[in-house]
Amino acid sequence: MKHSFWLSIALGAGWLLSPESLVIAGNSAGNMGWLAIPALAAVALLFALTGNLIKQSLATENSSDFLLLSSLTGTIPAICLTIVSCLPFVTLAATALLVSSGYTFNEVFLYWFPNFGFSFLLLGLLSILQAFPEKIILRAQIIFVLLAAGGLFLLTVVGIAGAEQPGNALLQKPEKVSAASSALLLLLFTGSRLSGGSKQSFLIPAIAFVLFSFWMFASLSYVNPERLGSSTIPYMTAARKIMGDPGRQIMGLIIISGTSAAITGLLIMCRSMLGAITLSPNTKSLFSVKKQRYLLPPLVALATGILMARGLAGDDLLEILLHGALILWLIHHSLLALSAVILIQKRTGHMPIAGALSTAILIGGVLFLITTSPQRTETIRFITSMLGAGGLLAAIWYLLHKKLTPEPTTQQTEKSL
Amino acid sequence: MKKLILLLSFLLLSAGLPAIASDVPTMSKEELKAQLNSSTLAILDVRSGRDWSSSEFKITGAVRVLGSEIAKWSKDYKKDQTIVLYCA
Repeated sequence: MKHSFWLSIALGAGWLLSPESLVIAGNSAGNMGWLAIPALAAVALLFALTGNLIKQSLATENSSDFLLLSSLTGTIPAICLTIVSCLPFVTLAATALLVSSGYTFNEVFLYWFPNFGFSFLLLGLLSILQAFPEKIILRAQIIFVLLAAGGLFLLTVVGIAGAEQPGNALLQKPEKVSAASSALLLLLFTGSRLSGGSKQSFLIPAIAFVLFSFWMFASLSYVNPERLGSSTIPYMTAARKIMGDPGRQIMGLIIISGTSAAITGLLIMCRSMLGAITLSPNTKSLFSVKKQRYLLPPLVALATGILMARGLAGDDLLEILLHGALILWLIHHSLLALSAVILIQKRTGHMPIAGALSTAILIGGVLFLITTSPQRTETIRFITSMLGAGGLLAAIWYLLHKKLTPEPTTQQTEKSL
Repeated sequence: MKKLILLLSFLLLSAGLPAIASDVPTMSKEELKAQLNSSTLAILDVRSGRDWSSSEFKITGAVRVLGSEIAKWSKDYKKDQTIVLYCA
């Protein structure tokens, strides 16, 4: 699925503008102080370099992330990794974000409207949106992103302009700087890479860096770093301090539109990733892209609805599962970058040094995130069980395909890359 | 296919309704405010996970307990006390 320049940015920016990203940014600013800004720059650069590397390796029109990954891992592991990197991510992220939006709507806008009711209403509306023509979905996505980014920009400008001693907090000695705090910033960029040209690979991380670094600066100018670092809703605390009640309302709008942007963007990303499997010469014909267009969003919505109705939002398990799902996406992205390094080396005879180095750092960062997870055992158990289930599903998918179509055409696969 | 999507959307919205409806006696914020200084009042914040972490509001003086550990903390309160459970 190829999109225009601005549209690719709107899709990639979805997760970046979600309440989850705002929590990561706020906590990082609180824990690391001014050091959060260079750390954010380093992580943005890492994603820009690896994203660009993957784009460079996809030389032909028919090439895709899936084919690139298949060249490193083989078809079944590539199907498995593609499935487990997007389906748990979109389902669990939707569950978590909708709950946050429900509370925001209830506490900021309509006290009498049940928070859970709003979560379901928004889920229903976003599911219905997916039934509309592609053009309308993409236009809606641009509106969601513009509302969220515009709101954050407004609060940042008002915050910096109105601060009595802007940046005073930046001069304080950061107390909780650790590699683990920096590694958490990796989660900010999860799901931000989508189809598009090489320019987008740099532009999304660059825009994210500018927007978040100024937001961190504004937040630190108003909120005590300790409070910012430990708050579960640092975005709302900062918004209230900056503009009072209107600030809360603007932040409420950012949260709801950011949630809508993240869910819509992730659903499109998921369709695009699974669509690449069906378009591959080795695996096509089982689920057409058209079928996925109508099947995937309602199934994800149903799974999300069931998880919410069963009370996962009130269970700490949700945080562990979401953390694991984000890591699974990062594993997929890291392996894609590794495949790209190997492919470019094969094609040109030269190792892409910057790309290889950023890939190595990214892989190290992902391993570090896994080992330093607060609930390491549960996170590893979730990741391995997802990989196991995904592997089984991939094997069934592949075997069914083999029954339905002639022998795999490996030459076609190589040609596509 | 569009009918299927609409049906699923309806099911989703219906699934959320039981969460909204409730038979448990409730108390308005005005009623609670009027009793805040009462020595027999105990406010227990039983929200957990994201239900707690996503909320901006925490009631002053509320004690945070886990709903699943009711057998453990229920012994700390007398039967004649007004116990307010804050769950969402």
